[in-house]
Amino acid sequence: MASIPNPLDTSQETLNQKQGFSGHENREDSTKYVFLLPAVVWILVFTIFPLLYAVYNSFFSFRYGKINQFIGLGNYGRLFTDANLHGALWITIVFVAVTVSIEMLLGLGLALIFNREIYGKNVWRAIMTLPLFATPVAMGYLGITLFYETNGPVNALVSALGGIPPPWLSNPTWAPIAVMIIDIWQWTPFVFLVALAGLQGLPEDVFEAARVDGSSGFQLFRHITLPLMAPILWLILLLRLVEAFKVFDIPSSLTLGGPGRATEVYSLFTYRTALRFFDHGYAATQGFLLLVIVSIIISLLFGRIRDLYEVSR
Amino acid sequence: MAHRQTNVAGRIVYIIVVIVALFWVAFPFYWAFINSIKKPAETFRPTWIPLVQFAPTLEHWTSELAIPETQHALLNSTMIAVGAATLSTILGTLAAYALARFRFNRPNNGFFTTWFLSQRIMPPVLFVIPFFLIMRQVNLLDTVWGLILLNATFTLPLPVIILSQMFRELPIELEEAARVDGASRIQAFTQVALPLVAPGLVAAWILCLAFSWNEFLFALSLTSKSAIPMPVIIAGAEHTRGVQFHYVGVRVLLTMLPPTIMALLAQRYIVRGLTLGAVKG
Repeated sequence: MASIPNPLDTSQETLNQKQGFSGHENREDSTKYVFLLPAVVWILVFTIFPLLYAVYNSFFSFRYGKINQFIGLGNYGRLFTDANLHGALWITIVFVAVTVSIEMLLGLGLALIFNREIYGKNVWRAIMTLPLFATPVAMGYLGITLFYETNGPVNALVSALGGIPPPWLSNPTWAPIAVMIIDIWQWTPFVFLVALAGLQGLPEDVFEAARVDGSSGFQLFRHITLPLMAPILWLILLLRLVEAFKVFDIPSSLTLGGPGRATEVYSLFTYRTALRFFDHGYAATQGFLLLVIVSIIISLLFGRIRDLYEVSR
Repeated sequence: MAHRQTNVAGRIVYIIVVIVALFWVAFPFYWAFINSIKKPAETFRPTWIPLVQFAPTLEHWTSELAIPETQHALLNSTMIAVGAATLSTILGTLAAYALARFRFNRPNNGFFTTWFLSQRIMPPVLFVIPFFLIMRQVNLLDTVWGLILLNATFTLPLPVIILSQMFRELPIELEEAARVDGASRIQAFTQVALPLVAPGLVAAWILCLAFSWNEFLFALSLTSKSAIPMPVIIAGAEHTRGVQFHYVGVRVLLTMLPPTIMALLAQRYIVRGLTLGAVKG
């Protein structure tokens, strides 16, 4: 790792000599690496090294957690034929599509509603941030009591509203919905907070001008608020999609992936491949497939939010 | 943007929406709280107001806190969160200062920033096996140290992004004046710049603390006994004990109150941290 600063150092020195920097400035050049290098080395050691190790493992079959034999791309081939993996991927895609779209709509709607002068605004906003750092595992665990089928609070409400209480956690159709509800509870505030911050940063004079022109509330939203908010909304969408694809904690504690495999999301499936079946090589290839999916999402959406980062830099 | 609200019906609908939203957000916390102070026989009665509708009790809190595993897990969680947050804030602040105040070429500042941020995007499940095998090799499996190192790695982007923005917003003249007075680069950093970004420093530390406390996947895969933190205790609980609502309430609150309360203290920086610096709340 110590080899990293050297090529940079020399290039920096030559650059400085060309530009006629003083010797004093040259001394500073080594100081700047004192600041940057600890973090760079740290990340190299703790992410690049394990990633390379995962690549290496992915070319081997494992037996009882020990390398068995080199199988080349065999593990990657299994990605295409493993019906259980496809099932987990499909469950995750449905989960992502449903939760992220509801979170976006609810969060933006709430932000529009809260974006005005109301009494005790800071207190309301603080309450809305509470779910963000509520331990997801603990929320899943609490969900067992919230969705308790006989007399749990959710079913008590359903009954009171005249509905038939659904078998939330024991039924393969309802269990994923329960997981989604907890996720929506937890992450709608994220969309809300960021969208609200965006709304409050919009220039007021544009709205004044449009109102003078006689635009209605919906026209204002459609033709002014929405286009101005677009980069921030794309950013929220990107961050939510990426996070949602990695979902693990809530289904692990609320439903343990069940009933059957109904809530066995992608990361949970990979975790079990790795640490229940000790098929380390295959688990590594599954991890890379998830990385590819996340990278595709980022490359598709990042162009739309680049402005946001350029402005803030 | 003060909307002109002339319509009384609209105002009522608006108030109802706000109340429903706040109720929806706050209900699970309240539910956990009243269950934690209800006697077991009261569990399924629709009583909501302690002292008025039922007599509260602290027996579940005292008995849960008397369990050695719980005490141990709380201690582990605290050590992991404080250790990881401190380490990541130190490393991240140094890197943030470097990115804000110096120019790097090949790779340049933008590359380093993107690279730091990309650590938050990696699927953690990809790292479970490599870390498991590496930690086993170096005897860090089932230790608090192993989890401190990992959480410091994955929370590192937070201080980098929060503090590099704050350093850029500081007028560079202050540090230059100190340099003219004979301070070294490092003295200018520790004695002039660092005190001025203290609020951001604390906020970044708190957010790292909350993220590390809540981390579950690595905690689950890399601990088996002596280093188990609260999230892992909670995930295994329903198997050993069945669902006893009062214990669920106590355990859930013990686990999620510390990060939630801490995060409230860093509220001004939450949006900035969670959007990787793109939006300032």
